[in-house]
Amino acid sequence: MKHFFRDLCRSKAGLFGAVLLAIIVLLALFAPLLHLPDPTRGDLRARLAGPTWSGLFSPGAHPLGTDEVGRDILSRLIHGSRMTLMVASTAVVLGGIVGTFLGILAGYKGGLVDRILMRLVDIQLAIPLMLLALLVVAALGPSITNVVLVLALTSWIRYARIIRAQVLSLREREFVQSARAIGASTLRIMFLHILPNVLTPALVVGTLELARVIIMDAALSFLGLGVQPPTPSWGRMLADGRVYLSSAWWTVTFPGLAIVLTVLSVNLFGDWLRDYFDPKTRSAK
Amino acid sequence: MTTSPPVLEVNGLMRSYGGGKTLFRKEKPVIHAINDVSFQIAEGETLGLVGESGSGKSTTGRAVLHLETPDAGSVRFRGQELTTLAGKALKPYRREMQMIFQDPYSALNPRMKVGRFVAEPMVVHGTESGSALQDRVAELFRLVGLDPAFMSRYPHEFSGGQRQRINIARAIALKPAFIVADEPITALDVSIQAQIVNLFQDLQDQLGLAYLFIAHDLSMVRYLCSRVAVMLRGRIVEIAPTEQIFSDPRHPYTQSLLAAIPVPDPDRRRPPRPPFDVSRNIPPREAQMAEVAPGHFVLDHPIQ
Repeated sequence: MKHFFRDLCRSKAGLFGAVLLAIIVLLALFAPLLHLPDPTRGDLRARLAGPTWSGLFSPGAHPLGTDEVGRDILSRLIHGSRMTLMVASTAVVLGGIVGTFLGILAGYKGGLVDRILMRLVDIQLAIPLMLLALLVVAALGPSITNVVLVLALTSWIRYARIIRAQVLSLREREFVQSARAIGASTLRIMFLHILPNVLTPALVVGTLELARVIIMDAALSFLGLGVQPPTPSWGRMLADGRVYLSSAWWTVTFPGLAIVLTVLSVNLFGDWLRDYFDPKTRSAK
Repeated sequence: MTTSPPVLEVNGLMRSYGGGKTLFRKEKPVIHAINDVSFQIAEGETLGLVGESGSGKSTTGRAVLHLETPDAGSVRFRGQELTTLAGKALKPYRREMQMIFQDPYSALNPRMKVGRFVAEPMVVHGTESGSALQDRVAELFRLVGLDPAFMSRYPHEFSGGQRQRINIARAIALKPAFIVADEPITALDVSIQAQIVNLFQDLQDQLGLAYLFIAHDLSMVRYLCSRVAVMLRGRIVEIAPTEQIFSDPRHPYTQSLLAAIPVPDPDRRRPPRPPFDVSRNIPPREAQMAEVAPGHFVLDHPIQ
Protein backbone atom coordinates (compact mmCIF):
# COMPACT_ATOMS: atom_id res chain seq x y z
CA MET A 1 0.00 0.00 0.00
CA LYS A 2 2.92 2.33 0.77
CA HIS A 3 4.42 1.50 -2.62
CA PHE A 4 1.07 2.15 -4.24
CA PHE A 5 0.86 5.77 -3.05
CA ARG A 6 4.55 6.45 -3.60
CA ASP A 7 4.32 5.25 -7.21
CA LEU A 8 1.07 7.14 -7.71
CA CYS A 9 2.70 10.41 -6.61
CA ARG A 10 5.45 9.88 -9.18
CA SER A 11 3.03 9.77 -12.09
CA LYS A 12 1.55 13.22 -12.86
CA ALA A 13 -1.24 11.86 -15.06
CA GLY A 14 -2.10 9.06 -12.65
CA LEU A 15 -2.14 11.39 -9.66
CA PHE A 16 -4.27 13.94 -11.53
CA GLY A 17 -6.76 11.23 -12.45
CA ALA A 18 -6.85 9.79 -8.95
CA VAL A 19 -7.34 13.17 -7.25
CA LEU A 20 -10.01 14.29 -9.72
CA LEU A 21 -11.84 10.98 -9.37
CA ALA A 22 -11.62 11.20 -5.59
CA ILE A 23 -13.15 14.70 -5.65
CA ILE A 24 -15.98 13.59 -7.95
CA VAL A 25 -16.73 10.52 -5.82
CA LEU A 26 -16.61 12.51 -2.56
CA LEU A 27 -18.94 15.19 -3.96
CA ALA A 28 -21.37 12.50 -5.05
CA LEU A 29 -21.21 10.69 -1.71
CA PHE A 30 -21.72 13.78 0.42
CA ALA A 31 -24.15 15.63 -1.89
CA PRO A 32 -26.99 15.65 0.70
CA LEU A 33 -24.72 17.44 3.20
CA LEU A 34 -23.81 20.28 0.85
CA HIS A 35 -27.05 22.29 1.30
CA LEU A 36 -27.56 22.49 -2.46
CA PRO A 37 -30.85 23.77 -3.90
CA ASP A 38 -33.36 21.02 -4.66
CA PRO A 39 -32.27 19.66 -8.05
CA THR A 40 -35.84 18.87 -9.09
CA ARG A 41 -37.53 22.14 -8.08
CA GLY A 42 -37.60 24.84 -10.69
CA ASP A 43 -37.76 28.57 -10.11
CA LEU A 44 -39.69 30.02 -13.03
CA ARG A 45 -38.58 33.57 -12.24
CA ALA A 46 -34.96 32.48 -12.81
CA ARG A 47 -35.33 30.46 -16.04
CA LEU A 48 -32.13 30.09 -18.05
CA ALA A 49 -30.23 32.37 -15.70
CA GLY A 50 -26.52 32.59 -16.58
CA PRO A 51 -23.73 31.60 -14.22
CA THR A 52 -23.16 34.25 -11.55
CA TRP A 53 -20.47 34.26 -8.97
CA SER A 54 -21.69 37.30 -7.04
CA GLY A 55 -23.39 36.46 -3.77
CA LEU A 56 -22.18 32.87 -4.04
CA PHE A 57 -23.38 31.87 -0.60
CA SER A 58 -26.76 33.60 -0.67
CA PRO A 59 -29.74 31.20 -0.94
CA GLY A 60 -30.79 32.16 -4.48
CA ALA A 61 -27.35 31.96 -6.10
CA HIS A 62 -26.82 29.77 -9.18
CA PRO A 63 -23.04 29.58 -9.74
CA LEU A 64 -23.42 27.51 -12.91
CA GLY A 65 -26.74 29.02 -13.98
CA THR A 66 -30.17 27.41 -14.31
CA ASP A 67 -31.94 25.38 -16.98
CA GLU A 68 -35.13 26.06 -18.94
CA VAL A 69 -37.38 25.58 -15.89
CA GLY A 70 -35.05 27.39 -13.50
CA ARG A 71 -33.41 24.39 -11.81
CA ASP A 72 -29.93 24.93 -10.40
CA ILE A 73 -27.38 23.33 -12.75
CA LEU A 74 -24.64 22.80 -10.15
CA SER A 75 -27.04 20.97 -7.90
CA ARG A 76 -28.33 18.86 -10.81
CA LEU A 77 -24.77 18.03 -11.84
CA ILE A 78 -23.78 16.81 -8.39
CA HIS A 79 -26.99 14.90 -7.83
CA GLY A 80 -26.73 13.51 -11.36
CA SER A 81 -23.24 12.24 -10.62
CA ARG A 82 -24.66 10.07 -7.84
CA MET A 83 -26.91 8.28 -10.29
CA THR A 84 -24.28 8.06 -13.02
CA LEU A 85 -21.59 6.67 -10.72
CA MET A 86 -23.97 4.25 -9.06
CA VAL A 87 -25.34 2.91 -12.34
CA ALA A 88 -21.90 2.71 -13.98
CA SER A 89 -20.08 1.08 -11.07
CA THR A 90 -22.87 -1.45 -10.45
CA ALA A 91 -22.85 -2.36 -14.14
CA VAL A 92 -19.06 -2.67 -14.22
CA VAL A 93 -18.96 -4.83 -11.08
CA LEU A 94 -21.82 -7.02 -12.31
CA GLY A 95 -20.27 -7.41 -15.76
CA GLY A 96 -16.93 -8.02 -14.05
CA ILE A 97 -18.21 -10.86 -11.90
CA VAL A 98 -19.98 -12.58 -14.81
CA GLY A 99 -17.16 -11.92 -17.30
CA THR A 100 -14.39 -13.02 -14.95
CA PHE A 101 -16.19 -16.22 -14.04
CA LEU A 102 -16.98 -17.10 -17.66
CA GLY A 103 -13.44 -16.17 -18.71
CA ILE A 104 -11.98 -18.53 -16.11
CA LEU A 105 -14.43 -21.24 -17.13
CA ALA A 106 -13.60 -20.88 -20.84
CA GLY A 107 -9.86 -20.69 -20.26
CA TYR A 108 -9.57 -23.51 -17.77
CA LYS A 109 -12.10 -25.94 -19.21
CA GLY A 110 -11.17 -25.34 -22.84
CA GLY A 111 -12.74 -27.53 -25.48
CA LEU A 112 -16.44 -27.19 -26.19
CA VAL A 113 -17.20 -24.83 -23.28
CA ASP A 114 -14.47 -22.50 -24.50
CA ARG A 115 -15.62 -22.60 -28.08
CA ILE A 116 -19.27 -21.90 -27.23
CA LEU A 117 -18.43 -19.00 -24.89
CA MET A 118 -15.95 -17.41 -27.28
CA ARG A 119 -18.33 -17.65 -30.26
CA LEU A 120 -20.93 -15.97 -28.05
CA VAL A 121 -18.42 -13.18 -27.42
CA ASP A 122 -17.69 -12.91 -31.15
CA ILE A 123 -21.39 -12.68 -31.95
CA GLN A 124 -21.94 -9.96 -29.40
CA LEU A 125 -18.92 -8.04 -30.65
CA ALA A 126 -20.45 -8.11 -34.13
CA ILE A 127 -23.60 -6.34 -32.91
CA PRO A 128 -23.14 -2.60 -32.29
CA LEU A 129 -23.33 -2.25 -28.51
CA MET A 130 -25.45 0.90 -28.66
CA LEU A 131 -27.98 -0.84 -30.87
CA LEU A 132 -28.11 -3.77 -28.49
CA ALA A 133 -28.57 -1.45 -25.54
CA LEU A 134 -31.34 0.47 -27.32
CA LEU A 135 -33.12 -2.76 -28.24
CA VAL A 136 -33.02 -4.17 -24.73
CA VAL A 137 -34.06 -0.96 -22.99
CA ALA A 138 -36.81 -0.33 -25.54
CA ALA A 139 -38.10 -3.87 -25.10
CA LEU A 140 -37.91 -4.02 -21.29
CA GLY A 141 -38.74 -0.39 -20.60
CA PRO A 142 -36.43 2.29 -19.21
CA SER A 143 -35.65 1.74 -15.53
CA ILE A 144 -32.46 1.95 -13.50
CA THR A 145 -32.34 -1.84 -13.16
CA ASN A 146 -32.66 -2.34 -16.91
CA VAL A 147 -29.98 0.24 -17.67
CA VAL A 148 -27.60 -1.48 -15.24
CA LEU A 149 -28.36 -4.86 -16.80
CA VAL A 150 -27.83 -3.58 -20.32
CA LEU A 151 -24.54 -1.92 -19.46
CA ALA A 152 -23.35 -5.06 -17.67
CA LEU A 153 -24.35 -7.06 -20.75
CA THR A 154 -22.12 -4.91 -22.94
CA SER A 155 -19.31 -5.14 -20.41
CA TRP A 156 -18.85 -8.85 -19.60
CA ILE A 157 -17.29 -9.75 -22.95
CA ARG A 158 -14.26 -7.53 -22.39
CA TYR A 159 -13.52 -9.17 -19.06
CA ALA A 160 -14.15 -12.64 -20.45
CA ARG A 161 -11.68 -12.22 -23.29
CA ILE A 162 -8.83 -10.80 -21.26
CA ILE A 163 -9.32 -13.15 -18.31
CA ARG A 164 -9.50 -16.15 -20.63
CA ALA A 165 -6.15 -15.25 -22.19
CA GLN A 166 -4.61 -14.96 -18.72
CA VAL A 167 -6.06 -18.29 -17.65
CA LEU A 168 -4.70 -20.04 -20.73
CA SER A 169 -1.17 -19.30 -19.56
CA LEU A 170 -1.94 -19.85 -15.86
CA ARG A 171 -3.44 -23.25 -16.60
CA GLU A 172 -0.07 -24.60 -17.71
CA ARG A 173 1.76 -23.17 -14.71
CA GLU A 174 3.12 -25.81 -12.42
CA PHE A 175 1.17 -24.82 -9.33
CA VAL A 176 -2.05 -25.54 -11.19
CA GLN A 177 -0.63 -28.89 -12.34
CA SER A 178 0.38 -29.52 -8.75
CA ALA A 179 -3.17 -28.82 -7.56
CA ARG A 180 -4.41 -31.39 -10.07
CA ALA A 181 -1.80 -33.85 -8.87
CA ILE A 182 -3.09 -33.69 -5.29
CA GLY A 183 -6.62 -34.34 -6.56
CA ALA A 184 -8.08 -30.86 -6.02
CA SER A 185 -11.51 -30.37 -7.62
CA THR A 186 -11.96 -28.17 -10.67
CA LEU A 187 -13.93 -25.63 -8.62
CA ARG A 188 -11.17 -25.50 -6.03
CA ILE A 189 -8.53 -24.92 -8.69
CA MET A 190 -10.64 -22.27 -10.41
CA PHE A 191 -11.43 -20.29 -7.27
CA LEU A 192 -8.35 -20.80 -5.09
CA HIS A 193 -5.54 -21.04 -7.60
CA ILE A 194 -6.69 -19.18 -10.69
CA LEU A 195 -9.10 -16.48 -9.49
CA PRO A 196 -6.63 -14.77 -7.10
CA ASN A 197 -4.13 -14.61 -9.95
CA VAL A 198 -6.50 -12.88 -12.39
CA LEU A 199 -7.97 -10.31 -9.98
CA THR A 200 -5.38 -7.71 -10.96
CA PRO A 201 -6.14 -7.75 -14.71
CA ALA A 202 -9.85 -7.81 -13.86
CA LEU A 203 -9.40 -4.68 -11.76
CA VAL A 204 -7.61 -2.91 -14.59
CA VAL A 205 -10.27 -3.88 -17.12
CA GLY A 206 -12.82 -2.66 -14.59
CA THR A 207 -11.46 0.88 -14.37
CA LEU A 208 -11.20 1.19 -18.15
CA GLU A 209 -14.70 -0.24 -18.52
CA LEU A 210 -16.02 2.27 -15.99
CA ALA A 211 -15.07 5.13 -18.33
CA ARG A 212 -16.76 3.49 -21.30
CA VAL A 213 -19.90 2.66 -19.34
CA ILE A 214 -20.24 6.22 -18.04
CA ILE A 215 -20.32 7.45 -21.64
CA MET A 216 -22.84 4.80 -22.63
CA ASP A 217 -25.02 5.67 -19.66
CA ALA A 218 -24.94 9.32 -20.69
CA ALA A 219 -25.78 8.37 -24.27
CA LEU A 220 -28.72 6.23 -23.15
CA SER A 221 -30.17 9.00 -21.02
CA PHE A 222 -29.53 11.50 -23.83
CA LEU A 223 -31.78 9.33 -25.97
CA GLY A 224 -34.36 9.26 -23.18
CA LEU A 225 -33.80 5.59 -22.37
CA GLY A 226 -31.90 6.03 -19.15
CA VAL A 227 -32.94 7.40 -15.81
CA GLN A 228 -36.32 9.04 -16.13
CA PRO A 229 -37.04 12.71 -15.28
CA PRO A 230 -37.22 14.50 -12.98
CA THR A 231 -34.27 12.56 -11.52
CA PRO A 232 -31.24 14.47 -12.77
CA SER A 233 -28.80 12.71 -15.09
CA TRP A 234 -25.96 14.12 -17.19
CA GLY A 235 -27.11 12.71 -20.48
CA ARG A 236 -30.63 14.00 -19.93
CA MET A 237 -29.31 17.49 -19.11
CA LEU A 238 -27.43 17.49 -22.41
CA ALA A 239 -30.54 16.41 -24.29
CA ASP A 240 -32.78 19.04 -22.68
CA GLY A 241 -30.24 21.81 -22.97
CA ARG A 242 -29.19 21.37 -26.58
CA VAL A 243 -32.23 23.37 -27.78
CA TYR A 244 -30.87 26.41 -25.93
CA LEU A 245 -27.29 25.90 -27.01
CA SER A 246 -27.12 29.19 -28.95
CA SER A 247 -28.75 31.32 -26.26
CA ALA A 248 -27.78 29.61 -22.99
CA TRP A 249 -24.43 27.79 -23.43
CA TRP A 250 -24.21 26.82 -19.77
CA THR A 251 -27.08 24.34 -19.98
CA VAL A 252 -25.01 22.03 -22.16
CA THR A 253 -21.42 23.00 -21.44
CA PHE A 254 -21.34 22.06 -17.76
CA PRO A 255 -22.91 18.59 -18.07
CA GLY A 256 -20.63 17.93 -21.04
CA LEU A 257 -17.64 19.08 -19.06
CA ALA A 258 -18.68 16.86 -16.14
CA ILE A 259 -18.78 13.80 -18.41
CA VAL A 260 -15.42 14.65 -19.99
CA LEU A 261 -13.69 15.23 -16.66
CA THR A 262 -15.09 12.10 -15.04
CA VAL A 263 -14.18 9.86 -17.97
CA LEU A 264 -10.77 11.49 -18.26
CA SER A 265 -10.00 10.98 -14.57
CA VAL A 266 -11.10 7.34 -14.67
CA ASN A 267 -9.06 6.70 -17.83
CA LEU A 268 -5.91 8.35 -16.48
CA PHE A 269 -6.18 6.44 -13.24
CA GLY A 270 -6.94 3.19 -15.10
CA ASP A 271 -3.96 3.63 -17.40
CA TRP A 272 -1.69 4.21 -14.45
CA LEU A 273 -3.16 1.21 -12.63
CA ARG A 274 -2.47 -0.99 -15.65
CA ASP A 275 1.15 0.14 -15.75
CA TYR A 276 1.47 -0.24 -12.01
CA PHE A 277 0.43 -3.89 -12.09
CA ASP A 278 2.40 -4.74 -15.23
CA PRO A 279 5.66 -6.32 -14.08
CA LYS A 280 7.46 -5.19 -17.23
CA THR A 281 6.85 -1.47 -16.78
CA ARG A 282 7.33 -1.87 -13.05
CA SER A 283 10.78 -3.37 -13.19
CA ALA A 284 11.85 -0.57 -15.54
CA LYS A 285 11.42 1.94 -12.75
CA MET B 1 15.84 -57.28 -11.11
CA THR B 2 14.82 -56.16 -7.67
CA THR B 3 13.20 -58.65 -5.36
CA SER B 4 10.56 -56.53 -3.58
CA PRO B 5 7.21 -56.14 -5.36
CA PRO B 6 6.97 -53.07 -7.61
CA VAL B 7 5.11 -50.03 -6.31
CA LEU B 8 4.65 -48.94 -9.90
CA GLU B 9 4.44 -50.91 -13.11
CA VAL B 10 4.28 -49.10 -16.42
CA ASN B 11 3.61 -51.08 -19.57
CA GLY B 12 3.53 -49.97 -23.19
CA LEU B 13 2.67 -46.37 -22.33
CA MET B 14 1.90 -44.19 -25.36
CA ARG B 15 1.09 -40.52 -25.70
CA SER B 16 0.92 -38.60 -28.96
CA TYR B 17 0.02 -35.03 -29.85
CA GLY B 18 -1.43 -33.58 -33.01
CA GLY B 19 -3.96 -35.16 -35.31
CA GLY B 20 -7.53 -34.10 -34.58
CA LYS B 21 -8.95 -32.94 -37.88
CA THR B 22 -11.99 -30.71 -37.42
CA LEU B 23 -14.26 -28.77 -39.72
CA PHE B 24 -12.09 -25.65 -39.60
CA ARG B 25 -8.66 -27.15 -38.99
CA LYS B 26 -6.38 -29.26 -41.06
CA GLU B 27 -4.99 -32.35 -39.47
CA LYS B 28 -1.68 -31.71 -37.73
CA PRO B 29 1.08 -34.27 -38.03
CA VAL B 30 1.00 -36.79 -35.19
CA ILE B 31 4.00 -36.71 -32.88
CA HIS B 32 4.61 -39.62 -30.56
CA ALA B 33 5.86 -37.92 -27.39
CA ILE B 34 6.28 -41.29 -25.73
CA ASN B 35 6.07 -44.61 -27.44
CA ASP B 36 5.82 -48.03 -25.80
CA VAL B 37 7.44 -46.98 -22.50
CA SER B 38 7.67 -49.76 -19.91
CA PHE B 39 9.43 -49.89 -16.54
CA GLN B 40 8.92 -50.91 -12.94
CA ILE B 41 9.83 -49.22 -9.71
CA ALA B 42 10.17 -51.17 -6.48
CA GLU B 43 9.03 -49.86 -3.08
CA GLY B 44 11.59 -47.40 -1.78
CA GLU B 45 13.63 -47.49 -4.98
CA THR B 46 14.87 -44.61 -7.13
CA LEU B 47 14.73 -44.97 -10.88
CA GLY B 48 16.57 -42.32 -12.83
CA LEU B 49 15.14 -41.22 -16.16
CA VAL B 50 17.62 -39.44 -18.43
CA GLY B 51 17.66 -38.23 -22.00
CA GLU B 52 17.93 -35.07 -24.07
CA SER B 53 15.26 -32.34 -24.05
CA GLY B 54 12.16 -33.42 -25.88
CA SER B 55 12.86 -37.11 -25.44
CA GLY B 56 9.62 -37.57 -23.51
CA LYS B 57 10.92 -37.73 -19.94
CA SER B 58 8.49 -35.20 -18.51
CA THR B 59 5.58 -36.56 -20.54
CA THR B 60 6.30 -39.98 -19.06
CA GLY B 61 6.22 -38.55 -15.54
CA ARG B 62 3.01 -36.66 -16.19
CA ALA B 63 1.31 -39.62 -17.88
CA VAL B 64 2.19 -41.86 -14.92
CA LEU B 65 0.46 -39.40 -12.58
CA HIS B 66 -2.52 -39.08 -14.90
CA LEU B 67 -1.87 -35.36 -15.37
CA GLU B 68 -1.97 -36.27 -19.01
CA THR B 69 -4.13 -39.08 -20.28
CA PRO B 70 -2.09 -41.73 -22.04
CA ASP B 71 -3.38 -42.98 -25.41
CA ALA B 72 -2.52 -46.57 -24.69
CA GLY B 73 -0.68 -48.71 -22.20
CA SER B 74 -1.12 -49.42 -18.54
CA VAL B 75 0.00 -47.84 -15.29
CA ARG B 76 -0.41 -50.03 -12.24
CA PHE B 77 0.03 -48.76 -8.71
CA ARG B 78 0.51 -51.69 -6.29
CA GLY B 79 -1.35 -53.84 -8.79
CA GLN B 80 -4.27 -51.42 -9.35
CA GLU B 81 -4.73 -50.29 -12.94
CA LEU B 82 -4.96 -46.48 -13.02
CA THR B 83 -5.48 -45.61 -16.69
CA THR B 84 -9.11 -46.76 -16.63
CA LEU B 85 -9.93 -44.66 -13.55
CA ALA B 86 -11.12 -41.05 -13.65
CA GLY B 87 -12.34 -38.33 -11.32
CA LYS B 88 -13.38 -39.54 -7.87
CA ALA B 89 -12.12 -43.09 -8.38
CA LEU B 90 -8.65 -41.73 -8.98
CA LYS B 91 -8.58 -39.52 -5.90
CA PRO B 92 -7.42 -42.15 -3.35
CA TYR B 93 -4.42 -42.87 -5.60
CA ARG B 94 -3.59 -39.17 -5.81
CA ARG B 95 -2.68 -39.44 -2.14
CA GLU B 96 -0.11 -42.09 -2.88
CA MET B 97 1.59 -40.47 -5.87
CA GLN B 98 2.94 -36.94 -6.00
CA MET B 99 4.98 -34.73 -8.25
CA ILE B 100 7.80 -32.26 -7.66
CA PHE B 101 8.28 -29.81 -10.48
CA GLN B 102 11.28 -28.40 -12.23
CA ASP B 103 10.68 -24.70 -11.80
CA PRO B 104 10.31 -23.84 -8.11
CA TYR B 105 9.20 -20.35 -9.11
CA SER B 106 6.11 -21.28 -11.07
CA ALA B 107 5.34 -24.28 -8.86
CA LEU B 108 4.06 -22.09 -6.01
CA ASN B 109 0.84 -20.11 -6.21
CA PRO B 110 2.07 -16.50 -5.87
CA ARG B 111 -1.16 -15.43 -4.18
CA MET B 112 -1.28 -18.15 -1.54
CA LYS B 113 0.58 -18.20 1.76
CA VAL B 114 3.04 -21.07 1.74
CA GLY B 115 1.64 -22.61 4.91
CA ARG B 116 -1.77 -22.86 3.31
CA PHE B 117 -0.16 -24.21 0.14
CA VAL B 118 1.56 -27.01 2.05
CA ALA B 119 -1.66 -27.71 3.96
CA GLU B 120 -3.79 -27.90 0.83
CA PRO B 121 -3.34 -31.62 0.05
CA MET B 122 -4.50 -32.48 3.57
CA VAL B 123 -7.47 -30.13 3.26
CA VAL B 124 -8.44 -31.62 -0.11
CA HIS B 125 -8.28 -35.16 1.22
CA GLY B 126 -9.72 -34.23 4.61
CA THR B 127 -6.96 -35.99 6.54
CA GLU B 128 -6.32 -33.26 9.10
CA SER B 129 -8.06 -30.08 10.22
CA GLY B 130 -7.89 -27.30 12.77
CA SER B 131 -4.89 -27.22 15.07
CA ALA B 132 -3.83 -30.76 14.06
CA LEU B 133 -3.43 -29.42 10.52
CA GLN B 134 -1.34 -26.50 11.76
CA ASP B 135 0.87 -28.87 13.76
CA ARG B 136 1.29 -31.16 10.80
CA VAL B 137 2.28 -28.26 8.50
CA ALA B 138 4.83 -27.10 11.09
CA GLU B 139 6.16 -30.64 11.31
CA LEU B 140 6.50 -30.81 7.51
CA PHE B 141 8.33 -27.47 7.48
CA ARG B 142 10.81 -28.81 10.02
CA LEU B 143 11.14 -32.06 8.09
CA VAL B 144 12.28 -30.24 4.94
CA GLY B 145 14.51 -27.88 6.89
CA LEU B 146 12.40 -24.74 7.01
CA ASP B 147 11.44 -22.60 9.98
CA PRO B 148 7.70 -23.13 10.71
CA ALA B 149 7.49 -19.38 11.33
CA PHE B 150 7.66 -18.95 7.53
CA MET B 151 4.18 -20.46 7.15
CA SER B 152 2.41 -17.12 6.90
CA ARG B 153 4.65 -15.72 4.18
CA TYR B 154 4.08 -15.46 0.46
CA PRO B 155 6.24 -17.28 -2.14
CA HIS B 156 8.06 -14.16 -3.41
CA GLU B 157 9.82 -13.89 -0.06
CA PHE B 158 11.70 -17.16 -0.61
CA SER B 159 14.79 -18.21 -2.55
CA GLY B 160 14.78 -20.97 -5.17
CA GLY B 161 16.10 -23.61 -2.79
CA GLN B 162 13.58 -22.67 -0.10
CA ARG B 163 10.79 -22.79 -2.65
CA GLN B 164 11.80 -26.26 -3.72
CA ARG B 165 11.75 -27.29 -0.04
CA ILE B 166 8.19 -25.93 0.19
CA ASN B 167 7.23 -27.97 -2.87
CA ILE B 168 8.75 -31.05 -1.33
CA ALA B 169 6.86 -30.42 1.92
CA ARG B 170 3.61 -30.24 -0.05
CA ALA B 171 4.44 -33.39 -2.01
CA ILE B 172 5.13 -35.48 1.10
CA ALA B 173 2.23 -34.04 3.13
CA LEU B 174 -0.01 -37.04 2.43
CA LYS B 175 2.77 -39.55 3.05
CA PRO B 176 2.84 -40.83 -0.52
CA ALA B 177 4.55 -44.05 -1.57
CA PHE B 178 5.84 -42.70 -4.86
CA ILE B 179 7.04 -39.31 -6.13
CA VAL B 180 7.82 -38.16 -9.65
CA ALA B 181 10.61 -35.59 -9.40
CA ASP B 182 10.76 -33.78 -12.73
CA GLU B 183 14.24 -32.24 -12.89
CA PRO B 184 13.83 -30.95 -9.33
CA ILE B 185 17.32 -29.49 -9.09
CA THR B 186 17.95 -28.23 -12.62
CA ALA B 187 16.75 -24.71 -11.86
CA LEU B 188 18.78 -24.39 -8.66
CA ASP B 189 22.29 -23.12 -7.90
CA VAL B 190 24.90 -25.84 -7.77
CA SER B 191 25.51 -25.27 -4.05
CA ILE B 192 21.79 -25.68 -3.35
CA GLN B 193 21.48 -28.73 -5.62
CA ALA B 194 23.49 -30.92 -3.25
CA GLN B 195 21.34 -29.85 -0.29
CA ILE B 196 18.14 -30.72 -2.10
CA VAL B 197 19.50 -34.06 -3.31
CA ASN B 198 20.48 -34.90 0.27
CA LEU B 199 17.00 -33.93 1.39
CA PHE B 200 15.58 -36.33 -1.19
CA GLN B 201 17.72 -39.11 0.23
CA ASP B 202 16.91 -38.33 3.86
CA LEU B 203 13.20 -38.35 3.10
CA GLN B 204 13.54 -41.64 1.25
CA ASP B 205 15.24 -43.20 4.28
CA GLN B 206 12.66 -41.80 6.70
CA LEU B 207 9.48 -42.32 4.69
CA GLY B 208 10.35 -45.21 2.38
CA LEU B 209 9.56 -43.20 -0.74
CA ALA B 210 10.07 -44.49 -4.26
CA TYR B 211 11.19 -41.89 -6.79
CA LEU B 212 11.05 -41.53 -10.51
CA PHE B 213 13.91 -39.06 -10.78
CA ILE B 214 13.94 -37.23 -14.11
CA ALA B 215 17.25 -35.50 -14.77
CA HIS B 216 19.83 -34.12 -17.14
CA ASP B 217 22.74 -34.36 -14.77
CA LEU B 218 24.18 -37.86 -14.96
CA SER B 219 26.52 -37.48 -12.00
CA MET B 220 23.53 -36.60 -9.79
CA VAL B 221 21.69 -39.62 -11.18
CA ARG B 222 24.62 -41.86 -10.39
CA TYR B 223 24.66 -40.58 -6.83
CA LEU B 224 20.93 -40.89 -6.19
CA CYS B 225 19.50 -43.70 -8.30
CA SER B 226 19.69 -47.46 -8.03
CA ARG B 227 18.61 -47.98 -11.63
CA VAL B 228 18.64 -45.76 -14.70
CA ALA B 229 16.47 -45.65 -17.81
CA VAL B 230 17.71 -43.77 -20.88
CA MET B 231 15.15 -42.22 -23.21
CA LEU B 232 15.58 -41.31 -26.87
CA ARG B 233 12.78 -39.84 -28.98
CA GLY B 234 10.01 -41.19 -26.77
CA ARG B 235 11.47 -44.67 -26.37
CA ILE B 236 13.43 -46.21 -23.51
CA VAL B 237 16.60 -47.45 -25.24
CA GLU B 238 18.39 -48.86 -22.23
CA ILE B 239 17.49 -49.65 -18.64
CA ALA B 240 19.85 -51.18 -16.12
CA PRO B 241 21.20 -50.92 -12.55
CA THR B 242 23.13 -47.66 -12.22
CA GLU B 243 26.63 -49.12 -11.89
CA GLN B 244 26.06 -51.33 -14.90
CA ILE B 245 24.94 -48.39 -17.06
CA PHE B 246 28.03 -46.45 -16.08
CA SER B 247 30.49 -49.31 -16.41
CA ASP B 248 29.02 -51.18 -19.34
CA PRO B 249 26.73 -49.00 -21.47
CA ARG B 250 25.47 -51.01 -24.44
CA HIS B 251 23.33 -48.63 -26.46
CA PRO B 252 25.38 -46.13 -28.55
CA TYR B 253 23.17 -43.27 -27.35
CA THR B 254 23.90 -44.14 -23.71
CA GLN B 255 27.58 -44.33 -24.56
CA SER B 256 27.51 -40.87 -26.13
CA LEU B 257 25.62 -39.45 -23.13
CA LEU B 258 28.21 -40.86 -20.74
CA ALA B 259 31.06 -39.61 -22.89
CA ALA B 260 29.59 -36.12 -22.66
CA ILE B 261 30.05 -35.97 -18.87
CA PRO B 262 32.82 -33.42 -18.31
CA VAL B 263 36.00 -34.77 -16.75
CA PRO B 264 37.20 -32.49 -13.94
CA ASP B 265 40.86 -32.81 -14.94
CA PRO B 266 42.38 -30.54 -17.60
CA ASP B 267 45.24 -32.96 -18.34
CA ARG B 268 42.99 -35.85 -19.14
CA ARG B 269 41.48 -35.52 -22.57
CA ARG B 270 38.61 -37.61 -23.71
CA PRO B 271 39.39 -39.96 -26.57
CA PRO B 272 37.71 -38.50 -29.66
CA ARG B 273 34.66 -40.45 -30.78
CA PRO B 274 32.08 -39.87 -33.48
CA PRO B 275 28.98 -38.27 -31.93
CA PHE B 276 25.80 -40.29 -31.94
CA ASP B 277 23.56 -38.99 -34.74
CA VAL B 278 20.10 -38.87 -33.17
CA SER B 279 18.22 -37.89 -36.31
CA ARG B 280 19.55 -40.86 -38.26
CA ASN B 281 18.91 -43.35 -35.48
CA ILE B 282 15.32 -42.88 -34.45
CA PRO B 283 14.28 -46.24 -33.01
CA PRO B 284 11.79 -47.95 -35.34
CA ARG B 285 8.40 -48.73 -33.87
CA GLU B 286 8.81 -52.49 -34.04
CA ALA B 287 12.12 -52.50 -32.10
CA GLN B 288 12.11 -54.70 -28.98
CA MET B 289 14.02 -54.67 -25.71
CA ALA B 290 16.56 -57.44 -25.29
CA GLU B 291 18.08 -58.57 -21.99
CA VAL B 292 21.86 -58.44 -22.35
CA ALA B 293 22.68 -59.11 -18.71
CA PRO B 294 20.48 -59.79 -15.63
CA GLY B 295 18.28 -56.70 -15.26
CA HIS B 296 20.02 -54.92 -18.12
CA PHE B 297 17.79 -54.31 -21.14
CA VAL B 298 18.74 -52.62 -24.40
CA LEU B 299 16.54 -51.64 -27.31
CA ASP B 300 17.56 -53.71 -30.27
CA HIS B 301 17.68 -51.70 -33.50
CA PRO B 302 20.25 -51.10 -36.26
CA ILE B 303 22.60 -48.16 -35.66
CA GLN B 304 24.07 -46.06 -38.46
